[in-house]
Amino acid sequence: MDMEGELEALMTRYQAGDFAAARALIERLSPRLHSFFGAQTGKRADADDMLQDAWLRIHRVRRTYRAGRPLLPWVYAIARRVRVDHYRIAVRTATREQQFEEMNAAAPDTTCEVQRVEELAELLAPLPASQREVLELLKVAGMSLEEVAQATSSSVGSVKQKVHRAYERLRRTVGLMESNRRHSEVEP
Amino acid sequence: MKDLRVDEVLDQARRASHEVSTDLVDRIAGTIASTLAPVRPLPSPWVLAAGLTLIGVAVALLGALRAGFQGFEALGVSARLVILGTLAALLVIVARQVVAAWVPGSRRSVSPAAVLVMICGALLLVFAALFHDYRLQHFLSAGLTCLLTGVLHAIPAGLLGWWLLRRGYAVNGLSAGLLAGIFGGLVGVTTLELHCPNFEAAHLLLWHTLVVPVSGAVGLLTGLLLRDRSVPDKLPRKSA
Repeated sequence: MDMEGELEALMTRYQAGDFAAARALIERLSPRLHSFFGAQTGKRADADDMLQDAWLRIHRVRRTYRAGRPLLPWVYAIARRVRVDHYRIAVRTATREQQFEEMNAAAPDTTCEVQRVEELAELLAPLPASQREVLELLKVAGMSLEEVAQATSSSVGSVKQKVHRAYERLRRTVGLMESNRRHSEVEP
Repeated sequence: MKDLRVDEVLDQARRASHEVSTDLVDRIAGTIASTLAPVRPLPSPWVLAAGLTLIGVAVALLGALRAGFQGFEALGVSARLVILGTLAALLVIVARQVVAAWVPGSRRSVSPAAVLVMICGALLLVFAALFHDYRLQHFLSAGLTCLLTGVLHAIPAGLLGWWLLRRGYAVNGLSAGLLAGIFGGLVGVTTLELHCPNFEAAHLLLWHTLVVPVSGAVGLLTGLLLRDRSVPDKLPRKSA
């Protein structure tokens, strides 16, 4: 059985009330979901919060998964909702309490993994949210075009178009970054 | 060259370890364990869509039964077939879209806005092709009555649809609300086609068709209100 098949079997057992299957599913999917959430903010604490919220929602609506259907689009559709809600809450809170400085002053995590996530966040920052999202799902979460289309409630054609536009923009960004780096190396 | 560099950064992020602490996994598993029980999965989307279509047909028939079938009786056989056939086909298409909005990870080929445009376009085409009486008798008063009747039938259809799909989960409340409103609006139009004997082209083109976007707007607003109520101002910090 391939990995997708194993995950789907675990989900079916989870729906039947099997705690071991639920735990196994949490252990297997959490790193991927954490990466998906981390790419939005680059902050581990926020990604932890979103991960917990996502699992609570997955648990609450687990009956909506249908055996035999791909699991990842179902999981990421819910995770996507969590991410949007957290973004809205963050914006609302920041507007009301003017906490922008406090949010920016959060102590940076210095581990290598977090640096990589931050590099990714920096690279993807200029992209519109919809393009950033499909690129993360496709390239970071490792989903297929069809799965990304299902997770984002759009068509495969629309996903392809967003990826194409994202790459066009990223090429320009990477070019600019490398040119700046070369410039700073020449002029210390 | 730059594509390779972009892929390299994305690949590094993919391979970067996103280890989740055992403590966090334990906490999530513990929360889930306290309410873990077997659940009955949702029926197939086609079963739900069929149920939704039946609800729509039942509401339209009951509405016409209460108000009268004057419109249906005044229509010729071919007009009956074209109008009711079109409405039935549109009801099935929209019911399928509504169900997709309530099941996470469902495939959606068109956006809710495109569905609205498609429905209105189809209704305008059918009305323009079948009716050629261009008088404007009691245009406003008769029109407002029909609009109100249509929307009043859209509301119970939308509510019953929500009841049928109450075990689902709308990942996008706005899309789900708009689609439920469009579905209700189609039921409202079906009631009007069975009941309303006014066959003036302008009346049908404007007031009957308008039931769909107006009901869609009601659904959209409901989705917006429910979405804002479902999200707290600040989520509790669970990772403290």
